[in-house]
Amino acid sequence: MSAGSSLPYRLRPNKAVDRELFLSLLMRLAPALSLEKYHYVGLGGPFLEDFRLVHARLGLERMTCVETEEEVHKRQLFNRPVASIECVHKTLEDYLDGIDFEVPAIVWFDYTEPRGITTQIERFARTIGAVPLGSVLRVTLNANPESLGKPEANEVSVEIDGAASGDRKEKPTVQEWRLARFKERVGQLFPSGLSAEDMTQKRFGFSVLRVLKLAVEKEALNFRDRQIVWALATYYKDGQAMVTAALVVCAADDAVVGDLVKGWEFNSTPDAPHRLDLPALSTLERLTMESNDEVGAKMAFKLPKSDMGEDPITVFKKFYRIYPHFSRVEL
Amino acid sequence: MTKPTNDQAQASPTKRFFVSMLTRDINLADAILDLLDNCLDGALRLADGGNVDYAQHFVKIELAADHFSIEDNCGGIPREVAKNYAFKMGREPDDERDSETETIGMYGVGMKRAIFKMGREALVRTRYGDDTFEVPITSAWLEAKGWDPLPINEPTEASEKLAEPGTVIRVDELYEGVSRHFANEAFENEVRTAIAEHFTMFLQWGLKVDLNGKPVEPVLVEVLVSERDDGPAPFVFQKTIDDVLVSITVGLNTGRSLGNDDDDDSGFERDRSSATAGWTVLCNDRAVIVGDKSRLTGWGDGIPLYHPQFAILTGIVEFRSKRADKLPVTTTKRALDTSSNVWLESLVKMKEGMRVWISYTNQWKNHPRADQSNYWEDAKPLSLGKAIASVAARSTIKKSDSQIEFNPQKAKVLPEPPGKTPSSRKVVFSRPAEEIRLVSKMLFDIDDEKPGIVGEKCFELTLAKAQKQDG
Repeated sequence: MSAGSSLPYRLRPNKAVDRELFLSLLMRLAPALSLEKYHYVGLGGPFLEDFRLVHARLGLERMTCVETEEEVHKRQLFNRPVASIECVHKTLEDYLDGIDFEVPAIVWFDYTEPRGITTQIERFARTIGAVPLGSVLRVTLNANPESLGKPEANEVSVEIDGAASGDRKEKPTVQEWRLARFKERVGQLFPSGLSAEDMTQKRFGFSVLRVLKLAVEKEALNFRDRQIVWALATYYKDGQAMVTAALVVCAADDAVVGDLVKGWEFNSTPDAPHRLDLPALSTLERLTMESNDEVGAKMAFKLPKSDMGEDPITVFKKFYRIYPHFSRVEL
Repeated sequence: MTKPTNDQAQASPTKRFFVSMLTRDINLADAILDLLDNCLDGALRLADGGNVDYAQHFVKIELAADHFSIEDNCGGIPREVAKNYAFKMGREPDDERDSETETIGMYGVGMKRAIFKMGREALVRTRYGDDTFEVPITSAWLEAKGWDPLPINEPTEASEKLAEPGTVIRVDELYEGVSRHFANEAFENEVRTAIAEHFTMFLQWGLKVDLNGKPVEPVLVEVLVSERDDGPAPFVFQKTIDDVLVSITVGLNTGRSLGNDDDDDSGFERDRSSATAGWTVLCNDRAVIVGDKSRLTGWGDGIPLYHPQFAILTGIVEFRSKRADKLPVTTTKRALDTSSNVWLESLVKMKEGMRVWISYTNQWKNHPRADQSNYWEDAKPLSLGKAIASVAARSTIKKSDSQIEFNPQKAKVLPEPPGKTPSSRKVVFSRPAEEIRLVSKMLFDIDDEKPGIVGEKCFELTLAKAQKQDG
């Protein structure tokens, strides 16, 4: 876990919405799958907020928090909000290698390190065959194309709308350069036909999700007792761009989970993730937007668009129910 | 002494044996590629020895849970060929087709094998000139004992006709495992990649291949060549061996694993780099093997085993002949016949070329990439044919009537690293991330400097101290 990712949720509203979406998925599945009996495994960060929430919403008892850094691990032991949380000082991979799940599991592969993306995706894909039927798996992956590295200034050319720099014939554009690095990085998992346009800040997350989907589908071909139901996929950016995907490993002949997930209002697959790009709002703005259909008439100004280019009002309308409301409390 | 009787022992193969044997030694993706091979052979025959304009041709492939289909406009099957050869299991010696064209099919099993591999019901509809007919292969025929000939039916409705000469093959009643694969996106991606690699030359010449409605883009296999007469260039060799024109090139690709300026802590990550690193083998323009990194192409056989350090090396070898049986390929067309003379003789040259570049990567190991990229700045990635043409134009090339050879090491056109020190040793160790962050913070005032740089600086500091004490 990198130092940056222990920023509190209130500074990362999109991540908070992403987490709420996942919890909302779990709530929807809970009665059908009896999630309260599941084993939850995740990375908690120093405050174990996710654990507290999972426990509060689902009543899950068996929880394991995995942490590689010793000081954070010690801090987790101190902060542990629920006594039944087991804190282990290991990598998630080592922990999973050493355990045979007795009950179905919810495992959140909360990866932030961009460099190991292929190993991370392969690890996630491999797990679908290793967990009991009914398990829910979720992965977070870094989706910042700059993590592929930066070319030297003299290594690349520029081309925009047909206008190009003089060295365009000899040198790749930065997107073409990234595409070559991406190909090297993901190797055999590379989705055939991916192009330089898929390497832009706006599109890179989709490319990462595409690799993830292909890896999982490929793995799924090896098993005849189970099928994969994609439940939730998101693409958001609070500083670093991230993508997530969650799936349920179901019995091959199961239709209940599939229907349940497909009927969920936030159901999304890696082909079309939710773009979480929520505007920062004052309390007054928020209340106005929640209680009025025609916001334009009430608010005579434009909300700024962010990097991802989504319309702030549309996004707000879609997610307002689970948009967290943070306020200051004096203790 | 015995005497003949009127009794006879049956010796013909049973259909069940034949079908299960035939389909066993090919995988599903290769079976699809075989069908594509047939389309291309059709296009070649259509051109009748002339140059084929591949941009005029298309192949549309559909993979779905309940059916498979492949459609082309590559000339179709003449009725005489359908009656006598095309649906026979194996090629007759009197089948004189293709003796003058560079096709690749020679055993006459591709289409049948592919169909039997996939499902129980198939329909082959074809139009040759203005003659349209179809041949159904039904499950009833498959299950029947004898080898009755297949019916040839003619269309009675407009919907049963084809707009232009070509062939449509549709397979239904797919086997369970096949259906699962055809519905799977990862399998579709695998087929798409295989087509992009194996038919790269045809795609580059304009052939349009659609897979489930989306065009397949070619994968380029190229080596870097400098235009300067004394600039770095790949190893090149060309010679006719046993009626086969062999062309070889080995050089750098556009990958950049050399110099290793990323830190290595991503573990096995690097092992996967670039599919086109390693050897690509082409036979009459089909890529038989792409990016091979195994003993098959010489790795670990008198030269080191493949290692990520060599991920920047690409070798291309091409065999070209009008006699398909002289090419070093097996019946699946996606594997090599490694005992053939032409292959063995070529392998010697392939390894010679590899040695040049292996020693080059050894020399540059532990040197920053930037140092060497200056030498390669004007180099362009070129395909095999263009690379040979470009190198052949150099003044230093060894050329005779029967062969062309260029060894960049001997021609002294390869850059050497500055200040080579033979006594260099590598220092490698690992420490917990939080400790590296702490040291990074102290040395660089940021906590995420690359571990390799943090380690190197620590060494330099200690070295300065040691030198001070020593002096």
